[in-house]
Amino acid sequence: MRKSIILAMALLSGVALASEQHGLVVNTPPEGSVTREAGLQAWERIHAVVSHPRCANCHTDERNLPMWSGSEYADAQPHGMNVHAGESRIGSETLACQACHVTSKRPNTVPHAAPHAGMDWRLAPVEFVWFGVDGPAICAQIRDPERNGGRDGAGLVEHITHDAEEKGFITWGFNPGAGREPAPGGMQAHLEDMIRWVAADMPCPED
Amino acid sequence: MGALKTIARRTFLIGSAAIAGGVAFGIYKVKQDPANPLLETAKSGEAVFNPWVMIDGERITLITPHTDLGQGAESMQAALIAEELDLDFGQFETSVGVPAAAYWNTAMAGDAAPFKSTDDSFTAETTRSVMGGVFKLIGMQGTGGSSSVPDSFDKLRMAGAVARETLKAAVAKNWDVPVGELKTAEGTVILPDGTALKYTEVAALAAEIEPVEDVALRDPSEWRLIGSQMRRLDIVGKSTGALKYGIDLDIEGMVHATVKVNPRQGGVMNAYDASDAEKMFGVIKVLPVTNGVAVVAENTWYAFQAVDAISFDWGAAPYPAEQADHWLAVADSFTGERLDKVWREDGDPDAALSGDVVEAEYRAPYLAHAPLEPLNAVVKVTEEGVDIWVSHQIPRIAQQQVAAITGHETEQVKLHGQYAGGSFGHRLEFDNVRLAAEIANQMRGTPVKLTYSREEDFAHDYPRQISMARGRGAVKDGKVEAYDLSIASVSSSASQIGRIGMSMPGPDAQIPAGAWNLPYAVPNFRVSAYRVPELAPTSSWRSVGASSAGFFADCLLDELIHVAGADPLEERLRLCTHDLARKALEAVGEMSVWGGDLGPDRGRGVAFVNSFGVPCAEVVEVTNTPDGIKIDKVFVAAEVGTVVDPIAFDNQVKGGVVWALGHAMNCELTYADGIAEQSNYHAFEAMRMYQCPQIEVRGLENGDSVRGVGEPPVPPAAAALANAIFAATGKRLREMPFNKHIDFV
Amino acid sequence: MKIIVNGETHDVAVAPDMPLLWVLRDELKLTGTKYGCGIAQCGACTVHIDGVAVRSCQMPIGDLEGEVTTIEGLGQPETLHAVQEAWIKHQVAQCGYCQSGQIMAAASFLDTNPDPNDEDIDRAMSANLCRCGTYPRIREAVKTAASSLRGA
Repeated sequence: MRKSIILAMALLSGVALASEQHGLVVNTPPEGSVTREAGLQAWERIHAVVSHPRCANCHTDERNLPMWSGSEYADAQPHGMNVHAGESRIGSETLACQACHVTSKRPNTVPHAAPHAGMDWRLAPVEFVWFGVDGPAICAQIRDPERNGGRDGAGLVEHITHDAEEKGFITWGFNPGAGREPAPGGMQAHLEDMIRWVAADMPCPED
Repeated sequence: MGALKTIARRTFLIGSAAIAGGVAFGIYKVKQDPANPLLETAKSGEAVFNPWVMIDGERITLITPHTDLGQGAESMQAALIAEELDLDFGQFETSVGVPAAAYWNTAMAGDAAPFKSTDDSFTAETTRSVMGGVFKLIGMQGTGGSSSVPDSFDKLRMAGAVARETLKAAVAKNWDVPVGELKTAEGTVILPDGTALKYTEVAALAAEIEPVEDVALRDPSEWRLIGSQMRRLDIVGKSTGALKYGIDLDIEGMVHATVKVNPRQGGVMNAYDASDAEKMFGVIKVLPVTNGVAVVAENTWYAFQAVDAISFDWGAAPYPAEQADHWLAVADSFTGERLDKVWREDGDPDAALSGDVVEAEYRAPYLAHAPLEPLNAVVKVTEEGVDIWVSHQIPRIAQQQVAAITGHETEQVKLHGQYAGGSFGHRLEFDNVRLAAEIANQMRGTPVKLTYSREEDFAHDYPRQISMARGRGAVKDGKVEAYDLSIASVSSSASQIGRIGMSMPGPDAQIPAGAWNLPYAVPNFRVSAYRVPELAPTSSWRSVGASSAGFFADCLLDELIHVAGADPLEERLRLCTHDLARKALEAVGEMSVWGGDLGPDRGRGVAFVNSFGVPCAEVVEVTNTPDGIKIDKVFVAAEVGTVVDPIAFDNQVKGGVVWALGHAMNCELTYADGIAEQSNYHAFEAMRMYQCPQIEVRGLENGDSVRGVGEPPVPPAAAALANAIFAATGKRLREMPFNKHIDFV
Repeated sequence: MKIIVNGETHDVAVAPDMPLLWVLRDELKLTGTKYGCGIAQCGACTVHIDGVAVRSCQMPIGDLEGEVTTIEGLGQPETLHAVQEAWIKHQVAQCGYCQSGQIMAAASFLDTNPDPNDEDIDRAMSANLCRCGTYPRIREAVKTAASSLRGA
């Protein structure tokens, strides 16, 4: 069923690439077809996602503390249990994130359990700090290959489709399960916004 | 069994009996006319023998009937027998024995011990303060109220001494040597020529003679074990995963069950739909139980999954649905109509409070026990009888509860006591045993293990009493002149015994526990208790009434001392009229170097509460960091007469402090829509290691009576913490949990 | 499904989303690993997977990769692991129900951090809950075990 819809959409658009592995439709617009305004609007939606607690809680600064914030918490606070992810950002110095956040592609169904994803649970690299950082600064970081893991526009898009294949953290953020509030939009919408923003040459609000 | 002696006036009689290849030392109980048909089922005049020590040709077994909930009761009881019997650890086995009237709790029943050497040091004051309610039940054969040590201390040493002297008498007779020339050591009777006869070799001879009853207990200077560091018997098992708790049992042919009962405690189940659950993988059957449903499955997890797939229509709670209404009911109970008792009135408080008055209101919330091992029980019902494998603090009543469900006589119900993964009062309740019996009774012949999910355990954790206090006081010339504390609380004691169909006449001594007996000569002093009508059902929570009343009482005093401009410790010492209490206060003053400079942003607080007969003083030191309060150090001095085992003592005191501070910091149980909102530890965390202060402990042995220390360190800790936070920040915390008002790091 | 636990291979026929915890306890009868909360809050179910501490209540058996070691596999009464020896020496346990998990967490931690300071210990061990309040003794036992493992 889903496969046929994806195929139909690909046929209609003529340029779409659908992957059964990640289940997303990658519809690349013609070069120059996305205006700066449209790109900035896409960025605002991307910003709403990356600054959402589901994403930002694990994009924290050099103190290496995952955060607990969002509608489930009265106040933003560091992760309980005295958890420190360490310079390794995976907790290997004291207690690995994976001790509780196991690697599993199964849905998250148990309320209040440690969430899991298909990737090894960790903090994002320290240069990817989003928690407590304003939109323009995040925007500048995401488009800067020096601070985004060496990714160009295509790399940023591929980052999302790869995550979908692995049922990684972005996928989890949109479908955290077990009563957690998801990041706004959805995986497909987020992908399309990223494609649009990249096609508009990655504009940031304060450019 | 050996010849029964003529049993005259005494209900209990020490004696011995022959067993296969050996001898048992213990006590007889003659069943009297039943005072309460619910509690006594044996025929009148029938004598039943219950052993403390059993020795046959192979082994020595010591009976340790007080339930080991983690406090080390097994080792403590064995050590007391072994002390007089001249046994070393490693030379005997232990057994919890069969629940029996003979193992009554002399400390809690407030009667004489079954031995000639009675413990007459249990003061009338404390007896009065603990008698009644659930403690009456614990008196039957129970574990709670910090009573295992006071109950056992004389009784079990006497049991060991009787066994020793009887073994010696048997050897004296058989080898024809004067008994005075025999010695005992390391499980042997030593003849004058140095020949060592193992107890196991001479046990059968001892069964043939009258037991030697007229024995004296050894002088403390001769103690080998008491007061020395002992390695508790279960320590290797608990460090290797080898020790089995109730939840770990695997009985041949056993099936696994879990339950979901109306989370509105005591509410009915109107309807349920288990059609999805019944089809789930691994499910054997779905059975109705009182106010809920059980799922029986091939393993625990399948049962957990299936019970979550059942939809329920629950009836309303028989108490206010919302937490705010619980607090209102408490606040509305400070009335003449609800006055339970004025527990103490010195001087003329009303006259002394006619001028400038300091006023304060305090709150203590419901709290779950939440021991780490969830409730469980294995039950097998057949036509012939019932077997129960469970850890329970009042096993004899558990047997009666089950007999009432299955239709057997209580004598047909065998309870096999298990190690517990903590209790804190949780295993005084009967729901898990009753529900397991209900399930097993519908599957006769098949052993059923009932395991609660953590969520079910929280939903059905009869919590600590909810209570408030209103304090008034006055100061004069730098001294506390008047103190008037009114405490309004539900009665956890009445709630608890009400659940087994009994009532508690008279006022509840737990409501003012730890408050009315403050050892201070404030010229005008009054403590009054008000009984709040039952709200959510409640239960005994480690240190019971004193956990809240002790907090209120000491904090009010601390506020008055501050207003008077006096030093918190010095003013307490000035007011103190009780020698043992004074020594406890002086000890923590010395340990904490009270008065010494703490440095910037730090504060210390002192508190004192006497609960369960133990005067206990504590000092807490905190730092006010930019991110919140850090608890740095705690000093504890507790008066227990004799420290039986310094390691167990240290562990219990530190554990009590951690328990008290953790819950005071961040725990409460609240109700919404009639259901406890805290479903698991994410919402009921208490203390974790990074928050744990350094704790320095001193056991004081100035008094005559020997006490247990599981509970007494709890009540002063929250008060000392609140007083320390005030000293560091100027902020008075009058409501637990404190994290509603201040952050902790 | 084939799983390796304490060096032995077991064939278990259970639902793939069943947590490792319940496979150990109810299927393999290895009950040293405890159920406390089911949501990775208490740590009582901690085992090692390829030597690293993992909450077995969170690990679906169908996703298990690697060899499992439980408290029974870490050391028996006759063949104690250094961490167990330290736990016995300091008489850490009260009720003892959390201690399998505490010991497994400490053993894994000391494997990667053989010379921890107090702050490291508080970080490594604060995700294991003890209702009896044995934390002061756990701290001391971890230090003793570390020293013993370093051969000091």
